Amino acid sequence: MNVPSPTFDRRTGGPQFGGGMARRGAPVVKPHDMRGTLRRLLDATRGHRRGLGRVFALSGLGAASSVLSPLLIGMVIDRISARESLTFALALLAGLYAADWLIDFGKQWMMAAVGQRIVLHLRVSLFEAMERLPLRFFDRHQHGELMSRLTNDVDNISSTISDSLAQLMVYAFTIVGTLACMLWLSPPLTAVSLVSVALVLLLARTVTRRTRPLFARQQRVLGELDGHVEETVSGMATVKSYGQEQAMIADFERLNERLCDTATRAQTWSGFMMPLSNAINNFGFLLVAVVSGVMAARGMIGIGVVSSFLLYVRQFSRPFVDIANIYNTFQTAVAGAERMFQIIDEEPEPADAPDAADVDDPHGDIVFDHVSFGYDPEHPVIHDVSLTIPAGSRVAFVGQTGSGKTTMVNLVTRFYDPDAGRILLDGRDLRDYRMASLRHAFGSVLQEPSLFEDTVAANIAFGRPDATREQIRDAARAAGADAFIGRLEHGYDTVLVGGGSALSQGERQLLTIARAMLADAPIVILDEATSAVDTVTEQSIRRAMMRMTAGRTSIVIAHRLSTIRDSDLIVVFEHGRIVEQGTHGSLMAAGGVYARMVADQTAI
Amino acid sequence: MRLIFHYVRRHWAMALTAAGFLLVETIGDLLQPTLMSMIVDRGVVRRDVGTVLRWGAVMLAVAAIGAGAAAMRNIYASRASQLIGRDIRSDTYRKVMSLGFDDVDRLQPSAIITRITNDVVQIQNFAQGLMRIMLKAPITCVGAIALIVVQIPEQTSTVAVILALAALLIWANMHVSFPRFLAVQRALDRLGVVSREFLRSIRVVKAFVMEHEERARFGAASRQFADTNVAATRVNATYGPLINLSVNMGIVAMLWLSRAQDAAHIGALMASMNYMTQVLFALNRVSMIVNSATRASASASRIQEIFDCPDEFARRGGTTGDHRGVPSRESGCEMTPHEQTRRPMPRESVHESSHGPSCDPSQGMSRPSSHDETPAVEFRDVTFTYEQAGAPALRDVSFTMDRGSTLGVIGPTGSGKSTLVSLIPRLYDPQSGAVFVDGRDLRDWDVDDLRARIALVAQKPTLFTGTVASNLRWGDPSASDTTIQRAARLACASEFVDTLPDGYDARVGQGGVNLSGGQKQRLNLARALVRGPRVLILDDCTSALDAVTEHDVLANLRSLTGAANTSSPRRNGHDGHDGHDDRMSVVVISQRIATVRSCDLIVVMDDGRVAGIGTHDELLQSCALYQAIAKSQLGGDRS
Repeated sequence: MNVPSPTFDRRTGGPQFGGGMARRGAPVVKPHDMRGTLRRLLDATRGHRRGLGRVFALSGLGAASSVLSPLLIGMVIDRISARESLTFALALLAGLYAADWLIDFGKQWMMAAVGQRIVLHLRVSLFEAMERLPLRFFDRHQHGELMSRLTNDVDNISSTISDSLAQLMVYAFTIVGTLACMLWLSPPLTAVSLVSVALVLLLARTVTRRTRPLFARQQRVLGELDGHVEETVSGMATVKSYGQEQAMIADFERLNERLCDTATRAQTWSGFMMPLSNAINNFGFLLVAVVSGVMAARGMIGIGVVSSFLLYVRQFSRPFVDIANIYNTFQTAVAGAERMFQIIDEEPEPADAPDAADVDDPHGDIVFDHVSFGYDPEHPVIHDVSLTIPAGSRVAFVGQTGSGKTTMVNLVTRFYDPDAGRILLDGRDLRDYRMASLRHAFGSVLQEPSLFEDTVAANIAFGRPDATREQIRDAARAAGADAFIGRLEHGYDTVLVGGGSALSQGERQLLTIARAMLADAPIVILDEATSAVDTVTEQSIRRAMMRMTAGRTSIVIAHRLSTIRDSDLIVVFEHGRIVEQGTHGSLMAAGGVYARMVADQTAI
Repeated sequence: MRLIFHYVRRHWAMALTAAGFLLVETIGDLLQPTLMSMIVDRGVVRRDVGTVLRWGAVMLAVAAIGAGAAAMRNIYASRASQLIGRDIRSDTYRKVMSLGFDDVDRLQPSAIITRITNDVVQIQNFAQGLMRIMLKAPITCVGAIALIVVQIPEQTSTVAVILALAALLIWANMHVSFPRFLAVQRALDRLGVVSREFLRSIRVVKAFVMEHEERARFGAASRQFADTNVAATRVNATYGPLINLSVNMGIVAMLWLSRAQDAAHIGALMASMNYMTQVLFALNRVSMIVNSATRASASASRIQEIFDCPDEFARRGGTTGDHRGVPSRESGCEMTPHEQTRRPMPRESVHESSHGPSCDPSQGMSRPSSHDETPAVEFRDVTFTYEQAGAPALRDVSFTMDRGSTLGVIGPTGSGKSTLVSLIPRLYDPQSGAVFVDGRDLRDWDVDDLRARIALVAQKPTLFTGTVASNLRWGDPSASDTTIQRAARLACASEFVDTLPDGYDARVGQGGVNLSGGQKQRLNLARALVRGPRVLILDDCTSALDAVTEHDVLANLRSLTGAANTSSPRRNGHDGHDGHDDRMSVVVISQRIATVRSCDLIVVMDDGRVAGIGTHDELLQSCALYQAIAKSQLGGDRS
């Protein structure tokens, strides 16, 4: 007799009963190509599946216990009623239970390791594939979606597919074995037992068909409600200052009421499943009891057969119901695998050409040669731009939001490749360099500061993990970050949590500037790097940067024109085209777009 | 836990009905094997078909009653648990909407959101499980054991030993596995952090060619997760089969001990074995209940924490006493001696020295005629510290802003500019000093009235799901289309709204996802203008606009101040005691000199202190910090 042992549900954090019962009603996602995906999954896990065969074999063996124990118990009962010696039969039963224990233990023990080994392998493969993808891919996909690929989907794939395969194995053997035993014992009683199985299956179908749309609707309403909570709580300052609390509460109550209604209906319907199948089971039990009782009373069967059947009928209908559920979760998991393979199949960043060169101590001569580009080829954002940046010069890109400045920088660092034209570094096409060595040549400070959950020192040393504490300090001092780091609780060893949410935007920017300073790259790119820093601090960063960039090529994008007026070359962009270029003096004298922008900013 | 039962009590009739039906259902289930033993012992063994059928009918009736009870229990339990969830959710949300910002800051908005969404669901699931199956477990346990004892009294001790052993194993399983599953949870959190950071920082990772290191980081987190998982799963792999084994061996023992059993009691033996498995099932369920209760009570205490916060003004109300009845107006210059008496320490800061002299001229010069008017906003000696911060964000801030004037606030990052203006609509209360709007202490205002006359446009724009028009109508639900369009025009928002496919009826996604930063900022500003506020506060809210647009917006706003009140959009009728004068006053926060230079009065903030007050020209003479800022921004021009 097997009782489901508690298994752990990772998402909710506690032991729960396994089996498909709990999952009924969850939306089923069907894979597009079940067979192909399974075959790929087999390929992808090759070499990491060791032990899985043994687990399946043990699962098959494990079914023997539930098939044979009622038979043996029947035997024992027969002997008790006939007053024969029990020793042999009981020894068999005890042996069976002991074997069942060993098999079950061995199966679960091995399964834990095999399953996790497969998960680990799939997860790391997926991550590596993701890492090689070009930025275009990340532009197109939401982070939350990719997150769930890396965490939930992978877990589901392996645990569901291996668990449910093992479970299917058990059930298949159980059903076939039980059926065979029952037929052997008494064909008419077998027919009676099947009545309740048929009824339970019918019930499961009806309930599932009823609840699936209800659960889908519940999910939708819940999503709306969560969305409402999220936006009103995070926008609470606005809600309060506009005195909209009551209106928001009214909206919330409306959604809450709707959720309560749909959820009640969904829960009630799915809740009928358990008591009704229970009732059917009882009914089947009763049917078998009465029929077998009558048969036994007439001497057609022995008392042992009665007790065996009474035990069989209890455990017979459950596998049928569960198989349907297992198949559903199996499908959902395969669909998850399909989504994983979609990511793995994405075109990675172009590989280095076989004769690709290293960027070795570059001069920093950059030439844009009739470059056109669009994030989406239909809508170009850079139109046929040609520009020469002489080695060692300080260049500033200015222009309105969306005029293509950041895109230009993205092209230089080869986050994207131009659709037409080419970009040359020291006279050589960027595509002829090794990607890694090319990117090492650039020290970038990007618009959005990215910090990691690690110490301040490690964050600054990102890009140069071998830097000494002294070098890190120097870089921080140069960036003007030393002072506020000193005020943090553990100084440079303070661990930043939540992307540095305890720091102000300006302080986060200072850290990323320090990071770029430490990287000490031959070509420096500052994309709005100081936009959140006050202008006085900005000045001191500028001075540090000037020292750093002396003799190096640098490209600066800035909203505040005051910060770039001493650049060697100012390039003005408008709608993806260069409309003016020159020094501050020459552009002011020309009285064009730039001069107008300066006038707008300095005087209102 | 108290919280949960409080809500259960609210729907006690329904919950009790559910529990009653559950009891009937459980008893029905428990009776089945006993009835079966009757069939076997009295019918089958004696070969009496009539008895078999008679007891069969009884059994069918019991099963039918049980099924009926189960169905009713299901209806009541589902309804009751959903109602409980709805009530908790609703009360929590209402409470959150009434919280003060000090508590919101302390609890963190993202944590509050999780509480309303996840934690309530946890409690609801618990309540549902409680009424659905959990109560069943103890009843089954007790009932089944009792029935075994009744059926085969001579084996009571065997049963007791087996069950004690199984219970011990279940307890040990929970005890050993719980910390391991906590470790799994922590490893999972870490994996989440690493993945999220990777996705967010993909540009930096690529730019610094750190793919290799990231892979190592991710690999380590994944491995950690896999290892903890294996360790935790193996605990269950050890105990689960062992628990099964103990009960199975118990059955063998029972059979062995019954070898001399009277054949007439075979049915009783069979029923007892059935009860043994039922008890095991129930024991397992008890361990599930304990787990689920632990989780639910953690959720409940997180929600309780929200309920325990005082309402927005309940806590601060007590401090108002000594401020009531303070004369509503003292002129700026009379204030200075008044301050001195209250605070004997003479000011010594370098910046402060510019305060004294500039105080008088600035007020006099900028708008001499307004001297006898009630000022729009006044800060007196305001010191404010955020709840968990060590140092005050504002120290002894005092200034006066005339009605219909413009006030610029400038200063470095973190100098207290945003904090300063967040005190005006009373989002926070200062620890000492007082803030006055229209000459009245904020603590004497009805908060709704106060906020109705102030519009604060925050740095980070917030929009809500709906349409462009519905967002703008936040300012005034009854605003006409023309009012809205006019406000949009003034905020330079009409130019892009008009190009949207549905114009003012265009959908705005959650948080305004489908709009650019600059567009969101302009809509926020337009929303504030729809309100027709007396005091408009712009907290660096034009940062995403290009210089030309920003210039146009500020010029439009300027036209609404001073005597030009006629051009302001329709206002709603919060007239109060001085409704005859509805000139709008504007506070502008910026880091840019160009933005504030033409304000009637400029306050220079530095590390929470006022470093200087005056007009642009005065400050260029008197305030060192202002000079530094100006030099950094206008440098070349002023040489």
